[in-house]
Amino acid sequence: MDGAKGLVEDLFRREWAHLVSALIRLLGPAHVSLAEDVVQDALLVAMHAWRLGAPKDPTAWLIQVAKNRAVDVLRRGARLQPLPSAETWDTTLELALSPEADGENQLRLMFAICDDALSPETHATLILRLLCGLSPAEIARAFLVDVQTIDRRLHRGRARLQEMRNLDDIVAAADVRARQPSVERALYLLFNEGYHGSNEENPLRPAMCADALRLAELLLGAVGVEARTVHALAALFCFDAARLATRLDDEGVVVRLAEQDRSRWDRTLLDRGVRHLAASATGDEWSRWHLEAGIAFEHTSAPSLAETNWGKIVQYYDVLMELVPGPVVAMNRALALAEARGLDEGREALAALADDRKLADYSFYWAAQADVERRAGHAAEARALYARALARAKSHAERAAYQRMVSELEG
Amino acid sequence: MPRFMYIFRGGGYAAPEALSPTELQRHLAKWKEWSDGLLRAGRLPMAQPLAHPPSGKTVRGRDRVVTDGPYAESKDLVSGTLVIEAASLEEAAELARDCPILEFDGSVEVRPVLLPPTV
Repeated sequence: MDGAKGLVEDLFRREWAHLVSALIRLLGPAHVSLAEDVVQDALLVAMHAWRLGAPKDPTAWLIQVAKNRAVDVLRRGARLQPLPSAETWDTTLELALSPEADGENQLRLMFAICDDALSPETHATLILRLLCGLSPAEIARAFLVDVQTIDRRLHRGRARLQEMRNLDDIVAAADVRARQPSVERALYLLFNEGYHGSNEENPLRPAMCADALRLAELLLGAVGVEARTVHALAALFCFDAARLATRLDDEGVVVRLAEQDRSRWDRTLLDRGVRHLAASATGDEWSRWHLEAGIAFEHTSAPSLAETNWGKIVQYYDVLMELVPGPVVAMNRALALAEARGLDEGREALAALADDRKLADYSFYWAAQADVERRAGHAAEARALYARALARAKSHAERAAYQRMVSELEG
Repeated sequence: MPRFMYIFRGGGYAAPEALSPTELQRHLAKWKEWSDGLLRAGRLPMAQPLAHPPSGKTVRGRDRVVTDGPYAESKDLVSGTLVIEAASLEEAAELARDCPILEFDGSVEVRPVLLPPTV
C-alpha cells in the first residue's frame, strides 16, 4: 500500500483547486460547471482505484486522469466552440495542468470571481467552491444557511463568469488594483467564517482558515497587486490561526482569551505573522487589516492577559472606529477599555451601545457585559446577562461556555 | 490457513456528485485503515482492484462471442477483489463487516478459495 504519504492531509481538496482553475482558464469561464464535472469525475475514479492501495505519485495520477477525462469531454463537446484541433490539445492541456501554471491559474480565477456585480458573500462562496473544493452542502454548513441559498449564489456566480470571455481579461494592473479590495474582503470573510464560524461543529473550519492564508500568500505573487495590505491581511490570519487550537477545550467549549494556554499557540505561524507584519509596514496609511493585525499582534506577543499592552490596543481601536465604524468594533473597543482603564469605563462604554439593534441580537455583546459584571463581583447581574447571551448563542460551543459561567456563579 | 476471496460490488456509484473532495478522501482513509488492519492482523491481504469507470469485454460460449463491457447495474458491478486468510468463513465474513464499501451501499461477497489438498 504505497503512496499513502501523498494522500495525507488535503490532497483531494488541493488537487480540486489546481485542476478546476486550470480547466476553467483553459476552457473559459463559460465552462465552470464542465470543469467541475471533469474534476469531480477524476476524483471519483481515484477514489475507486485507490481503495485497495494508492499509487506512488497520487498527484501525477490524478492529473493524468483529469487530462484524459477532459480530452473525452472535449471530443464529445460540440458545445465548446471554437474547438482547437485535437493535436494541439495534448500540449495545451499539459501546460495548463502543469504545477508551474497552478498559482497563476488560481489567481486569475480569484480575480475573475471577485467581480463588482456579485456580493462579497457570493465571492466567498465561489472561492470556497472553486478554489477550496467545498461542496455546496459543506459551504451551507459553514455559513449556517440552507443549501438552496448556496446553490443560488453559485448559480449567480457561474452566470456572471459566463459573461466573461476568458480569465485573462483581468490582467491589466489597473483592473487587478481595482479588484484587490474585493479579493481581500472575500478572503477575510472566508477566514472569519473558519475562525469565528457560525458553526463551531464544522470540521472544515481549520481548513478554511488555512485556505484563506494560502490564497492571501498566493495573492502576494500577483502582478499589479499592492502588497502592503495583503501582507497585513496575511499577518492577521497568521496571528489568529496560531490560536485556533486553543479556542475550544477538549469538550468543545469555547475558551476565552484569558484562559487560553499560550504555550500551545503555534510559534511557526506567529513568526510568519511577524514577518508579514514587518513587510506590511510601508507607506504611511493604515488599512483596516493593518489595524486588526496590529491588535492581534499585541494579543499574541503578550506573555499573559495582564501583561498585554491594552493602551495600545485601545488606540488601534480608536483609529479603526474612524476607518470602519460599526457596533462590533465599538464593542471590542469597550472591552479593551475595560482592561486598559478599569471595569467601570468598560461598563460605561458597553452601556453606551445598548440602543444598537444589531448588538441587541448579538450574544457576544451580552456575554461581554456579563464578563464585566462577573469580574466586578456582581453575580446576580452577571447571571442575568449570561442568560441573555445564552438565548442568542449560535453554537453548542458558545452555549456550553455561558452555561458553565452561570453554574460557576451559582456554585 | 484457509483463504477467502472478497468480491466487492458497487459502493460510491450512487449520487457521487454529492460527495465533496474531502468526503472522498475521508472515505479512502477508511479503506486504508481497514486494509492496514487486515495486514497488521496477519491476514496477508492480496488486492486486485479493477479499473473505474468499469470497462472490459466478455467472451461467451462455444461461439466465442465477444461483447463489450460489463453492463450490470452499477450496484452489481464487480469493482475489485481481495484475498485474505481467516480461520473460517464466519470469521472472514465478520472481518468484512467493517469494510467501508458498505457505507456507500456496496456489498462484499465472501467466498472460500479452493486450495489444493495437501499431500
